Amino acid sequence: MVEVKTAELMASVLSKHLEDGEVAIMGAFSGIPMLASRLAQMTHAPNLSYITGGSGAVNPLLEPLPASSCDDRLLKAECVLPLSDVIDFEARTEIDIFFAGGLQIDERGNCNLIGIGRPGEIKFRGPGSVGLPFLSRARRFAVYAMNHSARTFVQKVDFVSGPGFVDGKDFPGGGPSLVVTPICVMDFDEERMRLKSVHPGVSVDDVVQNTGFELRTPDDVPQTGLPTEEELELMREIDPLGVARNSL
Amino acid sequence: MRRLYLILSEGRLMARTEKVLNAKETVERFMKDGCFVAIGGMHMHNNTMALIREVIRQKVGIGRLITSPSGSVNADMLIGAGLVDELYCAYVGMEHLGLAPNFRKFAESGKLKVRECDEAFVTYTLRAGASSMPFIPLPRGLEATSVPSMNEDDYRWTSDPFGGEKVACLPALQPDVALVHCQKADEYGNAIFEGSKFNDFLMVKASDKVILQVEEVVPHEYMLENAMRVDVPAFLVDAVVNTPFGCHPTSSHRYYRYDEDHLKEYLKACKEDFDAYLEKYVRGPKDNEEYLEVIGGREKAKELMEGGVPW
Repeated sequence: MVEVKTAELMASVLSKHLEDGEVAIMGAFSGIPMLASRLAQMTHAPNLSYITGGSGAVNPLLEPLPASSCDDRLLKAECVLPLSDVIDFEARTEIDIFFAGGLQIDERGNCNLIGIGRPGEIKFRGPGSVGLPFLSRARRFAVYAMNHSARTFVQKVDFVSGPGFVDGKDFPGGGPSLVVTPICVMDFDEERMRLKSVHPGVSVDDVVQNTGFELRTPDDVPQTGLPTEEELELMREIDPLGVARNSL
Repeated sequence: MRRLYLILSEGRLMARTEKVLNAKETVERFMKDGCFVAIGGMHMHNNTMALIREVIRQKVGIGRLITSPSGSVNADMLIGAGLVDELYCAYVGMEHLGLAPNFRKFAESGKLKVRECDEAFVTYTLRAGASSMPFIPLPRGLEATSVPSMNEDDYRWTSDPFGGEKVACLPALQPDVALVHCQKADEYGNAIFEGSKFNDFLMVKASDKVILQVEEVVPHEYMLENAMRVDVPAFLVDAVVNTPFGCHPTSSHRYYRYDEDHLKEYLKACKEDFDAYLEKYVRGPKDNEEYLEVIGGREKAKELMEGGVPW
């Protein structure tokens, strides 16, 4: 059996989180969510639709999977829309699952792309919030993190770009449902992040040490299920250049 | 064959105005110091780099800048040249290649005023500007973020006159000038996006003056034969700047790919000697033809066009 890369493991976990008939959306730097979505379509979710953010492409064939979310190779798709139409779908709560990330992610699933510091005193300027404010209008969202450290997973984000669980909310979003990182998978318990499984070679203690808040940890934490050989073959077919596979 | 359309006016034969101009005269004519500029394209695609390099050569100060919404080297280069006072920031970065160094530096030092926003802001404010709505209310949810509290100039609150709930509102934006890339235009300004349209037509509709940077000028007959595919009508367009390969180092959708090596060189130069980069690639070459020689000429262009369009 070929070696499973961490990015492929993450994509296969995210793929299983997508259900048949759903609409998914992703933004910049989304190799892993693209791979996950196409894999889901080719396995258990033939009626999944996915939109690769800024390109406006609906159900790109990924022949092959490109590095940029706005690459013209994504236009080999079944429909290509102006971005303003994609914004309308987000506002109208047509999106079942949004893929999100952040410079900081906190225990309630808030994501920060604005920066590190305080208002008026941003010490480390991030790129900006892009589409994350509309997490509040997606039925649920999944976080994929390209690294797992106590600097990324913090008690409370310095700024909220994408809202996680919010007290007294009156907007339609259902909040975060899953967090996948290079070392583990987490879900939520009472609106707080909880360890769900650890990747091969990683201990529960490794995860706890690299998380900047008190992570809810069940007594028995299983190992993350590996992709099957068939899934791996499909992923190599979708991503022959290794764009997503080698993105970590 | 190009045909001039002649119309009778007060007994004289008048020719329809052709709008094809070079980058230098376009920037001189349409971009005033302190103007509010909208720039199209997304990430490292369809950026109007030939026009941006000309803006830097002429040192035109930009009072406010909005991108569509994901800014890349387009915004970063103008900021690094010290030409931008204020930026509507939904995103400025280099996607998988990392953060935008000049934007970071200028924002962190306070030299750049950042008007914090998001991609919905760019879409809604331009949509309001395009149809002269006085302002535009937002769907609920955005108030759960830090964005409105970080930008009190642009996010205001009112009550819904129908239901009474508190709603966030944005201003209508009408930039002075839009710089937008279309792959094809005719000499009058009818134009086609051959790839993604992004938010660029919204930007065209909202802005007072519209400058199109194009890969090729096609005969007017081409537009007549393909009217169903024409995205931009000529009457909205003020200038057509014909600069093949002018989006380099970004891509022009379905014409050529972005130049990853050059973008990496740019990122490195930002950390080491950005002025040397500007001297070599921007101020040194007097126009896009000379720029193409500096980056490796037709050979480089051919390399980035390799494989052609994927279908």
